[in-house]
Amino acid sequence: MPVGPVEQKKLNYQELRIYSDAELHNYTEEELKSFKVKHATPICDDYEKGPWPSFISDAKRAALHRHKLPKEKLMLSPDVIDDFLGQLELSYKEGEGHWKHGGIVGVFGYGGGVIGRYSDLQQEFPGIAHFHTVRVNQPGSKFYDTDFLRTICDLWEFRGSGLMNLHGSTGDLVLLGTTTDQLEPIFYELTHSMEQDLGGSGSNLRSPSCCIGRARCEWACYDTQDLCYQLTMNYQDELHRPAFPYKFKFKFDGCPTGCVASIARSDMSYIGTWRDNIRIDQKAVLAYVNNEIPRNGGALTGRDWGKFDIQKEIINLCPTECMFFDGKTLSINDKECNRCMHCIHAMPRALRPGVDTGLSVLFGAKAPILEGAQMATLTVPFMKIESPYDNVKELVEKVWEYWMEEGKNRERLGEMIQRIGIPTFIEAIGIRAIPQIVKEPRSNPYIFWKEEEVPGGWSRTIEEYRSRHKR
Amino acid sequence: MATTADLKKIILEFAESYKKSKFYFNDMVHEVQKTVPDAKQRDIKKASTELVNEGVLIFFSTGSTTMYGLKGRGITNDE
Repeated sequence: MPVGPVEQKKLNYQELRIYSDAELHNYTEEELKSFKVKHATPICDDYEKGPWPSFISDAKRAALHRHKLPKEKLMLSPDVIDDFLGQLELSYKEGEGHWKHGGIVGVFGYGGGVIGRYSDLQQEFPGIAHFHTVRVNQPGSKFYDTDFLRTICDLWEFRGSGLMNLHGSTGDLVLLGTTTDQLEPIFYELTHSMEQDLGGSGSNLRSPSCCIGRARCEWACYDTQDLCYQLTMNYQDELHRPAFPYKFKFKFDGCPTGCVASIARSDMSYIGTWRDNIRIDQKAVLAYVNNEIPRNGGALTGRDWGKFDIQKEIINLCPTECMFFDGKTLSINDKECNRCMHCIHAMPRALRPGVDTGLSVLFGAKAPILEGAQMATLTVPFMKIESPYDNVKELVEKVWEYWMEEGKNRERLGEMIQRIGIPTFIEAIGIRAIPQIVKEPRSNPYIFWKEEEVPGGWSRTIEEYRSRHKR
Repeated sequence: MATTADLKKIILEFAESYKKSKFYFNDMVHEVQKTVPDAKQRDIKKASTELVNEGVLIFFSTGSTTMYGLKGRGITNDE
């Protein structure tokens, strides 16, 4: 069942806030300069000297702020950040980590969303003896308002360490450091007051993540937010109750620009595309050529980039050499276009994606734990989609069914495809091999035909062959 | 066709007798399917979820992988 548009609950920070303005602004910059955390941290301090913003500086700020909050408004020790920095310093010094990884912590009914972390130096650093991570499923395209952010910051300062990571690589808001007894109250507040769910962790479907899509981008070839939301809601069981061989990630890019890098970061990558031709406004092309419209939406201005040269910057850089400009007219051999998006990025008013849009599906990207990092493989070059996305769900379920059956424990989808081979995989999910799937034509001389693939089939048997060719 | 109660019983026997205190979902599925060959993964998942909700089984997660275990066997307390 498709989930209809659901109006996001409008939070009112004034009703939900825990801290007063005075408590939130409880230290001065002068105090910060003379503030020292509980432990000596010379190596950490060194990280503050570079040109970039430092998380050490942020942590010290948060530590001072925490020390000055009223004790009755902190459910964890005021020293939690001091101890965090103390252990970090020790790890830098020794070249060894001191986090114990994993455990049985979680919230009732969920097998994901909370990751157990414990210090193995609990005597020295009691504030972080328990330092669990909570993953919160981010809203589509990470649209927040300040009421939401302030409410979650207050909640985390009250029931956690106050340290956050916005966002983790899966996309979630990552709340770093709380104790086991705070998990259920945090979950209650998130779900009941903020209508916000936990994200995925462990052998689950991870929190699906999408680009900004049609909310702001003219290139989006499908509604990334809607597809992301529909699949998130449809697969709640897979998100919260682990039964996969390992993690599984969906990511949704509205066009081949790939703003969420789904091709590199997800087991099942959805990339918007078109199957007709790139739309060309020849007048606008000439306006770019005559430098009447700045290239790249004005991004290449302010320095000596020189005049726009369509031959050098567009035609010669086309990876498939499918473009031609005769001085008046730009032509594109669209059959050869591999959707690199360079020309569209450079001349957005002259070139636009086609109008017959849909998406491509790619499988198997992963980070380099085993066999090195792997990009996803194009498997479905084009799929027309519309809500309720039944064709997408059908494909998802075929893939899961096969992977759950054939995948080994802790084997990502991409590793399984590598092990069994792409022909076996596409056969299992009911897709015919097509030229776009072939990565390197003629690199493998062995083609094994099946009888049903050959018109007329064949009548010979292996026994008959062996009668003439002994082993 | 095995009922959820039958599946829960097989899962419990497996969890009690498995050589390790924690096991993967797939290990549990293969064990159940030895006894009930037509048992579907989804039904096994439903049965194991019920056992988790009843506090008999527990999830053990490293953050990247999740395993199941029998409460009371091996590490099952917050430490």
